[in-house]
Amino acid sequence: MLETEELSKAFKGKTVVEGVSLYLEKGESVGLLGPNGAGKSTTISMISSLMKPTSGEVLLHGENVIKNPGKIRKVLGVVPQDIALYQELTAYENLKFFGRIYGLKGQMLTEKIKEVFSLVGLTDRQGDILNTFSGGMKRRVNIAAALLHDPEILIMDEPTVGIDPQSRSYILDMIRELNLQKGITVLYTSHYMEEVERLCDRVYIMDHGKIISSGTKEELKSILSGEETILMELDRAYPEMEKEFQQLDSIRQVIETEKGLKLISVKGSRLLSSLFQIADRHEAQVTNVNIQEPSLEDVFLHLTGRKLRD
Amino acid sequence: MRLFIWKDLIVILRDRSEIMVLLLMPFILIGILGFALGGILGGDSSEIDVQVALVAEDNTEEGTAQFLQELEEIELPDELHEEIAETARTLNPAKLLKEFLENEDLKEIVTVEEMKASEASRMLEAGELDAVLTLPEGFTYTSLQAMIWNEEISADVIVTLSENGSLYANIFADLIEGFVEVLNLESAIASAAGPEAAREGEPAETGGVIPIAQNEPVNSMQYYSIGMAVMFVLYVAGTIASKAYVEKHEQVYNRIILSGTHPAKYLSGKWMTGTLFSFLQMGILFTLSAFIFRTFSLDSINFWTGMVFITFVLALCIGSLTSLLTSISIRFESDAVSSIFSGGVVTLFAFAGGSFFPLAGMPQVIVEAGNWTPNGIAMTAYLLWLQGFEWTVLLPSLNRLLLLSAVLLAASVIIFPRRRSVTS
Ligand SMILES: Nc1ncnc2c1ncn2[C@@H]1O[C@H](COP(=O)(O)OP(=O)(O)O)[C@@H](O)[C@H]1O
Ligand SMILES: [Mg+2]
Repeated sequence: MLETEELSKAFKGKTVVEGVSLYLEKGESVGLLGPNGAGKSTTISMISSLMKPTSGEVLLHGENVIKNPGKIRKVLGVVPQDIALYQELTAYENLKFFGRIYGLKGQMLTEKIKEVFSLVGLTDRQGDILNTFSGGMKRRVNIAAALLHDPEILIMDEPTVGIDPQSRSYILDMIRELNLQKGITVLYTSHYMEEVERLCDRVYIMDHGKIISSGTKEELKSILSGEETILMELDRAYPEMEKEFQQLDSIRQVIETEKGLKLISVKGSRLLSSLFQIADRHEAQVTNVNIQEPSLEDVFLHLTGRKLRD
Repeated sequence: MRLFIWKDLIVILRDRSEIMVLLLMPFILIGILGFALGGILGGDSSEIDVQVALVAEDNTEEGTAQFLQELEEIELPDELHEEIAETARTLNPAKLLKEFLENEDLKEIVTVEEMKASEASRMLEAGELDAVLTLPEGFTYTSLQAMIWNEEISADVIVTLSENGSLYANIFADLIEGFVEVLNLESAIASAAGPEAAREGEPAETGGVIPIAQNEPVNSMQYYSIGMAVMFVLYVAGTIASKAYVEKHEQVYNRIILSGTHPAKYLSGKWMTGTLFSFLQMGILFTLSAFIFRTFSLDSINFWTGMVFITFVLALCIGSLTSLLTSISIRFESDAVSSIFSGGVVTLFAFAGGSFFPLAGMPQVIVEAGNWTPNGIAMTAYLLWLQGFEWTVLLPSLNRLLLLSAVLLAASVIIFPRRRSVTS
């Protein structure tokens, strides 16, 4: 139902989004995954008609909406990356304001507000001034405000940034419910791959303004089907040992992590014993070893040679 | 539209620090400045220096002689005749006026110098004088008639005020007005024994040359109530614009645009909030000042009607200023302009507009600049009104405020991002 064609954006000659083509089918939950600065927010701004693309098109039901943003604005619910609410107003007053500017009033408005508050689980706190809310609660009101006019498509720009795990979990469940039970089409932007992995059927991976890969989660992971990930926890860093690991044939990549090393290796290569031998020689203290299936994080790593969050 | 105004008002009213700046601070400052600097405008200070030229076009002896000659022709008992002639010879209206201007109280604030008419008007134009007091030909004669016969003819003195309408000149006009009234009062007493004694004389009019000031000169409490109100009302514009920046920066503005709301609605909401809030703010300040500091008399409906009207015109202008600062903040997504405005420009405006002290004696440039600040223009209007000047005298100030208002509003509309999409 919504589609972009070769969407590009340049700021003063610097291209930050380049040739982005993506689509959303009705009822889908689609992730847009990419590190900070990848161009996710810029892409979303263009889709939601807040920003004019330098080139490319945004199509709603096959109709170009760049010239006529009214159409897309009606069906879109946008949850901005910031808490786009009045801190001085109560949660209720905020929703009343945003509901009214969408043309809701009277009984309709009251009922709609009640409904979204119960959806985001803040019925008890709706009379409190937003300023007194925790980050997680503000995020929930931020989402609630985008749902008042019953949008068909919900576009969310990192709606869980900087909040506690419980709130995040609550929000993710809520979005999943909106998607599955109310049939709202979701475009979910994040740099947390766990979220996208949990929420989305289909994923676009974005880096440096371009879509570098896309598909269902399974399709993406199959890129790494021939690989596995070994997490090795160490008491400190051993640069010499790292170099030696790198020279092993069946190791594709060695990445330093906070606790030790992450090794991407050819699946089934039975590396462990040789790894331990090398570690022994370097008198390295291995505190833990873990073998994992690849995650989207690893896919990203594989595609870009970088981690999502650094 | 009411929705936008409601929202903007609540956003400010719930911000305690803004309320401190917009209401509490000016009120405290009115108290402090009004009491501490009570002397400056209260009359017993040497800070005020009104420069006045006295132009005597009248010959006292001739005037007295003319009066005596006409007296001869009136039939009266001899004693009375003699008594009146004696009074006329000793009464010297011009001298009385000079003595009045040079008495102990006034000497400190008024400097009088006698000079020729041509010289006086040259100095007045050069801004070296605040006022010229002309005793026209026949002054002695008419004054004697007014005083002795209690005739209802005016003892014409012509007061020409300096063009920039300095406060000093206005104070001086008040003084002279007072004097002329006193003269007439005395004349009533002087003629008590005369044939026309029974006729109660109405106070003589000073003629059409100067607008008549009926009130007392402005006292310091009044001066600073107005000075602080017109200064702090400027912060309303800065505050609302800075809130608009927050709306833009935190994407609330985007959310509003996404709802299909026309941007013009948003902007006119700011304009109206600016107008309404500044009107309320000044209203509260003036009312509090009247009740707590007894600054303004609460009896005169006419006086308060005028205050409300001036305040309304100023509020419109502040609304437009709010709109302009908002446009800039949204267009450039920057709060630089509103913070520079609140952080420095307001103080400069307040200084140039005379909020801290009367500007007479300041370089002409500053006075001129002040005459183009909303607060400076309004201050002039308020002070004139306080002194009891007629409406017509206030009109140039009010017109100027409206003009400024229109210009600011037009600029804001031009600058405001017109396209329905927010960022290019
Ligand atoms: N208005 C702008 N002017 C100039 N550069 C911008 C602007 N907005 C974003 N950028 C740049 O575009 C790039 C992508 O930004 P953004 O879309 O916010 O990335 P993301 O949301 O993926 O973190 C960044 O390098 C950012 O600095
Ligand atoms: Mg972003």
